[in-house]
Amino acid sequence: MAANVKFYCDSERCIECNACVTACKNENEVPWGINRRRVVTVKDGEPGERSLSVACMHCTDAPCAAVCPVDCFYTTDNGIVLHDKDICIGCGYCSYACPFGAPQFPTSGAFSSRGKMDKCTFCAGGPEETGSVDEYKKYGANRLAEGKLPLCAEMCATKALLAGDANTVSDIYRKRVISRSMSTLASSGAIQQNGFNPDFSGKVTK
Amino acid sequence: MNQIKQFFLFGLVIFLFNLSPISISNVHAADGEKAGQNFSPLGVESPAADLWRAVRQRNPEGGENLVGRSQVKGPNASTLINVGGQEWRNWRNSKLIPYSMYALGGMLLVIVLFRLIRGKIKIKAGRSGKKIKRFTNFQRFVHWTVAILFVILGITGVILTLGRYGLLPLIGKEAFGFIAYYGKLLHNYLGPVFSVMLVVMLFTFIKGNMFNWTDIKWFLKGGGLFGGHASAGRYNGGEKAWYWIAMLAGIVVVISGLILNFPQLIPILNLSSEQFQQAQFLHAVGSIGLFVVSFGHIYMGTFAMEGAFEAMRTGECDSNWAKEHHDIWYEELQRDGSLTMNDTASNPSSNETAQTA
Repeated sequence: MAANVKFYCDSERCIECNACVTACKNENEVPWGINRRRVVTVKDGEPGERSLSVACMHCTDAPCAAVCPVDCFYTTDNGIVLHDKDICIGCGYCSYACPFGAPQFPTSGAFSSRGKMDKCTFCAGGPEETGSVDEYKKYGANRLAEGKLPLCAEMCATKALLAGDANTVSDIYRKRVISRSMSTLASSGAIQQNGFNPDFSGKVTK
Repeated sequence: MNQIKQFFLFGLVIFLFNLSPISISNVHAADGEKAGQNFSPLGVESPAADLWRAVRQRNPEGGENLVGRSQVKGPNASTLINVGGQEWRNWRNSKLIPYSMYALGGMLLVIVLFRLIRGKIKIKAGRSGKKIKRFTNFQRFVHWTVAILFVILGITGVILTLGRYGLLPLIGKEAFGFIAYYGKLLHNYLGPVFSVMLVVMLFTFIKGNMFNWTDIKWFLKGGGLFGGHASAGRYNGGEKAWYWIAMLAGIVVVISGLILNFPQLIPILNLSSEQFQQAQFLHAVGSIGLFVVSFGHIYMGTFAMEGAFEAMRTGECDSNWAKEHHDIWYEELQRDGSLTMNDTASNPSSNETAQTA
């Protein structure tokens, strides 16, 4: 039984250091202007500020795969959503459908049109031969084949970004939630430092 | 060691559940109504859940996605969740694709039925052999440039929209990917040329394409499609309707197409993925609609009617064809004296001689 791998970013731990972004760029040698992973901060500079590191979330029912006109996406046994750049035509539909803004497009084509789509592979390479030069050039590192997890999560200094088997990730997160709840309860709920107030009161910046 | 940990955790959970009624009242008392907004069965706010719930909803004020800030600069980099994506996906997969199949297939069926019922529309009086100038060389150049581009764009567009469900299973992913890739390139490079030519066409054919009272009568008579005679000027009601549909829907398709074609060309606009979804919606609906209506135009102009195709191919039409299908225009030409050069066809006696000869 293959593992079902997932990313999870703990908003209570992410400090927006962008190490995951840098690690990803370096490990996969992605072209200039392409960011497979990014950190988004909401309520920046306001009380309740939170940061989250986002990349492809490898959806079980992936919208990108559902709308792709050439059906170039496939899901591995590990639940990783990958795509074939030899089939991709760079139409951009996956980026319209994706909730997380994961698909990236090089603009090196004539008239800065979209090239072939590039996205996070969970450091699992692509459809080319595992460990080959072609695979590295097109899709970046295949760390999973080497028995390693995605570098973004391995690099994370605060262990906010978790990657791996979904059960293990959720176990870790569950323990964190319980211990946080404990500390809150221990203070009789009076100290609510961690409360996220969803009231944006018009201070949304674009 | 692990067992001790598990025991401790289990104890914690029991502890939490036991405390929950007290803590709920505590939190509610402390935070008042605000705490009521947050889903917290244990009385302890879960910041992550609230954060995710907030970013998954549209901004209540702006109606768009909640936007944060990101060090990564790129299209939509600062949007955490693209809410419209799911709506666009559902629309495309459950509406656009099946309904465009029905529309395109239905129109072909209607044309086949019309052919079976009505047959070929002949020139009743036969050909006179006398030619009348109908289109200038420039008009024909514009028409055929737009027409050829339109058909190429239409076919490549349909391949992109429906090919995954029609062509792909037949020829496989690699071959279809190859066709779709060069189809997309063709579509993207010819699209801007089509845009320019559409504007040229707007001005080239606007003269004579304004609706008037004759066209209403033409439509009431069904355009003479099912027998009977419907008078028409230089262009009949159907041709005028097609002109205006092509121009108005064409402009929508062209503008939305240019947006989709050049996502990075105007970085100042910094279009969100929501705007790309809207552009794709307009582009798909407009162009599928145009393609469906164009089937009717292409059929009428080629196989349906004797003498129609040569008017656009050579620029000249047969005088009897003009008399039967564009009688008011024919009379106008007679009155203007434009027909004096080859007027022999216009009086009935010479017409008969032409037929007997």
